[in-house]
Amino acid sequence: MSDIAIAGGRVARRGSASADAVDSWQRPDARRVLQLCLAAIWLLDGVLQYQSFMFSKGFGQMLAGTAPGNPGAVARPITWDARLVEHHAVLLNTIFATIQVLLALGIAFRPTVRVALAASIAWAVGVWWFGEGLGEVLTPAASPVNGAPGAVIIYALLAVLLWPSDRDAATAAFPAARAVGAQVARALWLVLWGSLVYFALLPGNRAPQALNGMIAGMASGEPGWLAALDNHAAAVLAHQGLAASIVLAVVLALIAVGVYLPRPAARAMVVLAIVVAALIWVFGEAFGAILAGGATDPNSGLLLILLAAAYWPARAAVTAVAPAQTVAQPADGAEGATA
Amino acid sequence: MMTPSWILDILAALMLLVAAASAGRLVAARPWAGSSGEADIDVAHLLMGIAMAGMLVASLTTLPNDAWDVIFALTTAWFGWRVYREAGRQGSRVLADGHHMPHLVHSAAMLYMFVALSTPAMAGGGDGMGGMGGGSGMAMQTLNAPVVAFIFVLWLSAYVVLDLDRLSGPGHAHGSYFFAGRSLAGATAGVGSASLAGVSAAPARTGTGGVTVPDQATDGGHPAAGDGVAAGSRPAAGSAFLLSPKVAAGCRIAMGVTMAFMLVIMI
Repeated sequence: MSDIAIAGGRVARRGSASADAVDSWQRPDARRVLQLCLAAIWLLDGVLQYQSFMFSKGFGQMLAGTAPGNPGAVARPITWDARLVEHHAVLLNTIFATIQVLLALGIAFRPTVRVALAASIAWAVGVWWFGEGLGEVLTPAASPVNGAPGAVIIYALLAVLLWPSDRDAATAAFPAARAVGAQVARALWLVLWGSLVYFALLPGNRAPQALNGMIAGMASGEPGWLAALDNHAAAVLAHQGLAASIVLAVVLALIAVGVYLPRPAARAMVVLAIVVAALIWVFGEAFGAILAGGATDPNSGLLLILLAAAYWPARAAVTAVAPAQTVAQPADGAEGATA
Repeated sequence: MMTPSWILDILAALMLLVAAASAGRLVAARPWAGSSGEADIDVAHLLMGIAMAGMLVASLTTLPNDAWDVIFALTTAWFGWRVYREAGRQGSRVLADGHHMPHLVHSAAMLYMFVALSTPAMAGGGDGMGGMGGGSGMAMQTLNAPVVAFIFVLWLSAYVVLDLDRLSGPGHAHGSYFFAGRSLAGATAGVGSASLAGVSAAPARTGTGGVTVPDQATDGGHPAAGDGVAAGSRPAAGSAFLLSPKVAAGCRIAMGVTMAFMLVIMI
């Protein structure tokens, strides 16, 4: 920064070394960046919920469509909720959309980050049941390629892992370990990616045309270039359902155990997780079908990328600095206080 | 089924509020008298607020689309130039947290919305966009190249959450006007004023002998203001709130959310 000295209306620029003095906005650390990414995705969710389709009876019918295949105890509340939404679409959808926007703003606003993250967990679990039919995990249709175990439950998982407290900040191996500890964080990763292995090997996904049909089905309504990508990928996988499922399951299994490997290998597995999640998001989910209109969220691929980023192994130097930063920002609701 | 018109009405009212606040900031800061600050940004906010209100509600349409095309092409070029200058000092860092980058994105998003708008045949004519609510019998308007809209939505969402993080973090000074070496926002700037203590720490010489004025408000150490300066007194206390960084950030956040909303429902 430079200062300007004014004398008699004449302006002269002069150098100043005061830039550092005013550089008082502190860049967020890795966990806060991830929290902000989560907030941005919630905001995207919120504005998607304001689309015209969501105010129609079609939204309620879409919710009802998640009930079939689930056990009666799970399906009945979904059907009841769907009927309610169908009859009061404008009011309820406005509330839904506004809640999601508020969750986003709450996570981004430091003093309310805890309240918003806690609320997002409750909201996500509710939506997982009533809006996604538990991500279809109890049905034979679940597949890691089409969003199982449900995008919204990954929001809840991220809220837990990115909770602004520090169980072992000094030795945290990755940002997701700071709140719950490395052991719990690794176990959660193993369960999530392990479940994807299981879903990949379900009979419905091993069928010769299973993946082909799933990916080709995403092309409908998409822009030409994305439809062409989907159709091409579907053609490559035609009649290769079994082989593709096995390969996918092996890759997902490697990712699942990757967080237990030494740092270089763990990093490679996190990169692999990001690549696989990106492929799922582009080819299997067509960016959550947002470009086709009528999507309620960006689907699981984007969330899996964010989750993988939360497991990026930290450098030793970074973890050593983390506690000092925490102490230095006592007023920072996101990072300052510890649980 | 269209998006309920009352939602569009509320957002249009919000955008008019943003426009009014931006106009109020301009009047309170008196940039023509030489205060150093955010006049270009407030002018852009004022124009965007009016344009978006017209897009949301047909009866609030003010100018033909072609006029808005030109206006937002100019604001995009202007902020592109400001970002280019910033990049000369700070490098690629400006893409992530440069002071003028969000305004470039906002301007470009507005330009995109006006240029890429595809009005269905049944939507009728008229000079403006006709309002997204469309009125009776009007079909929904859509945007060409929806992937561009999606990219803008992601970008705008990122800036909204970053703005909120900065606003609620320590040391927010984004959006202040400076006059005679002090923030015009004064003590009501909240967290903003705390950071400005650093700016004003150097003794500001007042009077005819000379005044030391920082030529750049800072946002995390980034230049934020223009070059014009002049001596004078601080504005009335009533203007302090309008000129506070919180109001500037609030305008940006409201516009970012509304713009993302508009882009999404026109995909």
